[in-house]
Amino acid sequence: MGIDYLQEWTLLAWAGRFLVALAFASAVAAVISFSQGWNEWGKRAFQLHAVSTFAVIALVFVLFGFHRYEFQYIWKHLNNAMPMRFILSAFWGGQEGGFLLWMFWHNVLGLILLRKKTKWTAVTMATLSGIQVFLTSMILGIYFGDFQLGLDPFLLLRDAPQYAGLPWTLRADYLTAFPLFQDGQGLNPLLQNYWMTIHPPTLFLGFAATSVPFAYAIAGLTNRTDNSWMRPALRWSFFTIGILGTGILMGGAWAYEALSFGGFWAWDPVENSSLVPWIMSVAGGHLLLINRNRKKPLALFTTYYFLILSFLLVLYSTFLTKSGILGDTSVHSFVDSGILPQLLVYLLTFVTLGHIMLLRPGKWRRWTLFAIFTLALACFKGYAIETLTLFLLLMATIGIKAYRTDIERTEGEDSVWSRDFWMFVGALLLLVSAAHITWQTSLPVFNHFLEPWSGTLASLGESWNSDLLRDLSEHNLAPGTDFDQTYHLVQVPLAVLIMLGIGFAQWLKYKHTNIGNVLKKIFLPILVSMLLTGILLWQFSFEWWEVPRVALLFAALFAVASNADYIIQLGKGKWRQIGSPLAHVGFGLVIFGAVLSTSQKNIISKNQIGDISTLNEELNNREDLLIMEGDTLNIGEYFVSYRDRYTEGIHVKFRMDYFDKEPRVYEPGEVVFFDGMVFEALEDHEASEQFTDDMEDHWMFIPFPNERQAKTARIWESGVPGEKQFTLEPRIQLNEQMGNAPEPDTRHWLHRDLYTHIKWGRVTPPETDEEGWMGGRSHTLQVGDSMLIGHTLLTIDSLRAIDDSEKPNRGLLTKDLAIAACVQLKNKDMRSQHEPLYIVRDSLVVPDMFEADDYGIKMRIETFNPQQETLEMTIWEHISVRRDFVVMQAVLFPLINVLWLGCIIMAIGSGMAVFARWKRDNKSTAPKSSGLSDE
Amino acid sequence: MSLLLVAILVGTFIATFTSTSRSVGFAQAANIPGEECKVSGTLVREQPVIYDPIVDPTKTVFHMEDKSGAKCKVILEKAKPTGLENSESIDLYGAMVDGEFHATEMLMKCPSKYNESNHVLSLETDESTS
Repeated sequence: MGIDYLQEWTLLAWAGRFLVALAFASAVAAVISFSQGWNEWGKRAFQLHAVSTFAVIALVFVLFGFHRYEFQYIWKHLNNAMPMRFILSAFWGGQEGGFLLWMFWHNVLGLILLRKKTKWTAVTMATLSGIQVFLTSMILGIYFGDFQLGLDPFLLLRDAPQYAGLPWTLRADYLTAFPLFQDGQGLNPLLQNYWMTIHPPTLFLGFAATSVPFAYAIAGLTNRTDNSWMRPALRWSFFTIGILGTGILMGGAWAYEALSFGGFWAWDPVENSSLVPWIMSVAGGHLLLINRNRKKPLALFTTYYFLILSFLLVLYSTFLTKSGILGDTSVHSFVDSGILPQLLVYLLTFVTLGHIMLLRPGKWRRWTLFAIFTLALACFKGYAIETLTLFLLLMATIGIKAYRTDIERTEGEDSVWSRDFWMFVGALLLLVSAAHITWQTSLPVFNHFLEPWSGTLASLGESWNSDLLRDLSEHNLAPGTDFDQTYHLVQVPLAVLIMLGIGFAQWLKYKHTNIGNVLKKIFLPILVSMLLTGILLWQFSFEWWEVPRVALLFAALFAVASNADYIIQLGKGKWRQIGSPLAHVGFGLVIFGAVLSTSQKNIISKNQIGDISTLNEELNNREDLLIMEGDTLNIGEYFVSYRDRYTEGIHVKFRMDYFDKEPRVYEPGEVVFFDGMVFEALEDHEASEQFTDDMEDHWMFIPFPNERQAKTARIWESGVPGEKQFTLEPRIQLNEQMGNAPEPDTRHWLHRDLYTHIKWGRVTPPETDEEGWMGGRSHTLQVGDSMLIGHTLLTIDSLRAIDDSEKPNRGLLTKDLAIAACVQLKNKDMRSQHEPLYIVRDSLVVPDMFEADDYGIKMRIETFNPQQETLEMTIWEHISVRRDFVVMQAVLFPLINVLWLGCIIMAIGSGMAVFARWKRDNKSTAPKSSGLSDE
Repeated sequence: MSLLLVAILVGTFIATFTSTSRSVGFAQAANIPGEECKVSGTLVREQPVIYDPIVDPTKTVFHMEDKSGAKCKVILEKAKPTGLENSESIDLYGAMVDGEFHATEMLMKCPSKYNESNHVLSLETDESTS
């Protein structure tokens, strides 16, 4: 239309789009060249692809750096207030950046693979380039009519389809004319966290790395007589395991430090779908370990299949988490976001590739391709679910066919007492574990598959009288919320077996072992771990139904002890051999730390009396604590005090002081309340934790307290605040986009963490009328009742009728009936008596407001019940005397540092193992003899 | 070996079938009182959201309309989640007790950044240009 927009960097947009197109074209060229065996051309094409991708990324960073808000991606993820250190988080804050990050790592991995030319280069690089073709298409941003191919990171705001035709898009000076375009929306503040700077790249590197063993497996399937692809695949597998594992745990650390669901793992679909590929990588990697030296491979099909699956599960994970299919069980269509069909095609293409390659070349492959082509046509005709079901059945058939006839099988020659056998068993257990997690996470997807068969299932359910079938026919399955039932029931026993296997199999040799020797070797680790488990049982309290959990703690300790022992006995000075047992030690510690700190977490804010106004109500048995500003309350072994709050940037911080708890010392004659009864101390003593422990020896029950006793009686307490220990500052993040979010603050010790977060706190001043009175609150009170209004204690001492002589002074008519409530108000400076009135004139109630200005309180008696002698009063509080309060939660996580230590050890161990293997593979290509020292 | 594996897998799935809850409407939930289920719907904005921490810091009361349009009083046994009033949709986990839905767990979908910003952009600039 020929508008010359002012101050836009339109040229860069075109440069960016050109680079994306170039990256796409060169990836296609690389696929073609490598699959034709033109390796030199392929290499150039891939290098060009890598360079243009890097240039795209650099360009996006430039746009971020110069705050170019005319670009939609920048405007959505950056604002002027955001510190530049979060620019990385902002970069991968959106889908476009996420794909660019993923592509970045594939390029790095591809360039590393290209450095050394082997006979596997062509196929692996063709596969990797194929993946890149799909990923690049995700950021193409080309429209075919209504269909959108990819999301353009260089899209200008004024070109975005949702703003098409709006008046401002036609103004040449829109960038300067509207303040809206001089600042962006900014990154969701929850992501403005240092963990968000390192967690996504690590996780995406892990995701990207699964494609390398996948590519090698595909390469291996093209040349089935040669198993030498396994050596490089093995290195990459363990690289994947180390990086992906670290990435997942970093996500846990972020959740623990910055989010406030009170833990680091919540079996959330997003977490699950990154865990499952890791589990499959572990299984696949260990199968490679078995097979790399064998002339006759064991479970060759399973080896191939697991490596393929771990990559496919990464794609499935992307699909699950980006499609919105999980969030809402009633989304009937797969196609609801512009990019969704593309993600599905990406996933299904590689599912097809992975399965077809399992077949030997020949007519089966051709028929399968033909069948898939037919299904694709049917899919376009609108039978999406049915064709997908058929597609999956077809893939399963191919898998079974390949397993039975197309891939070499050897069976039954292995000794039961060999490392091979137990690693294989372990891999199968991991498969069950992964399948179970996937199943629970995918229930909303499964519902879609049930839908077309709903009628059939319902009638079958009726005729067989099966509740299961009837439930299925309703296609409304949802994962349960009880983790013990939904996940732990299956995962814990599996983990016990796996951990025992890790501890035990380390001592076995490949092929065959003398089991007697092994039993001797694991005697000490068993003893040590039993001892440690005994200490745990003594230190912590477990319920009888937690037997599987205790078994898992034991098994994890055994895995740690056994592998540590192995390092000590065999690894002395041979650092190249200790990588794998060290990684196992780390993994054992991770499991131990995770299970113990989660199952033994102690919510110490439980069971508290918030303040004395709730004394009349039943004791609150929940996990949250209401605490008034300035109050000091006992929680667990601490006293906590809410000092004050302040605002800093986008956070409202609440200062919570923690004090030591010192035993309360009672002197003879002191009077206390306990459970509504009055007691007097008989002698000097330190209070125990429970009053009942002291009652007989130190206290005398006073059935009829005298005036002194009644006046001085205090509620019994086991301790008093001692020295101030530390201050925690949990926060509420003022987040306009996502809603205010609480962020915890945690005190770390070596042996445990104290985690505190604000469940509810006021971030805006409360509403008041013009005079500053806050909304009235209605209370039903009896003579003798007390309650706390802000800083003031209000007590109803008695009720009395106003006699006629008093009436004129109080502005009453003689015919009025009036009752006065004798109310005592008391705060730390003063104490006084007041008499609000309940007036009935001509059988009508005359509302009478009573103000106690000194205390900032006004009240009105609404009803009076003479039979029960109760009053209903509305009480208003003035803003000037209001006490702030928060609802908080405090949790102790024991031994959680074991988890993080385990994570670090696991990462170091995997790194060492990968490095040692890389060194060794470089030195000699000839297979070494297998044996104990080989790992 | 493979048969054994299949048997374990099938066993696992059947074992966990008992732990799945059903996603239902309020009417169905009322038919299975006390049994855990999931109800999805939207907040009824005409009714107030009641949260009075002084009385009970872990009780939030509001009304929700399920997908079929049935409305029901919900008692959430938690502090009021931030953003409840602005939520787009709500998933409740809990059980029906005496005609009230007692929720122990709640997931919310809040308006995404994307939609909200669209909103902002079209409204404000419309005003300033017209």
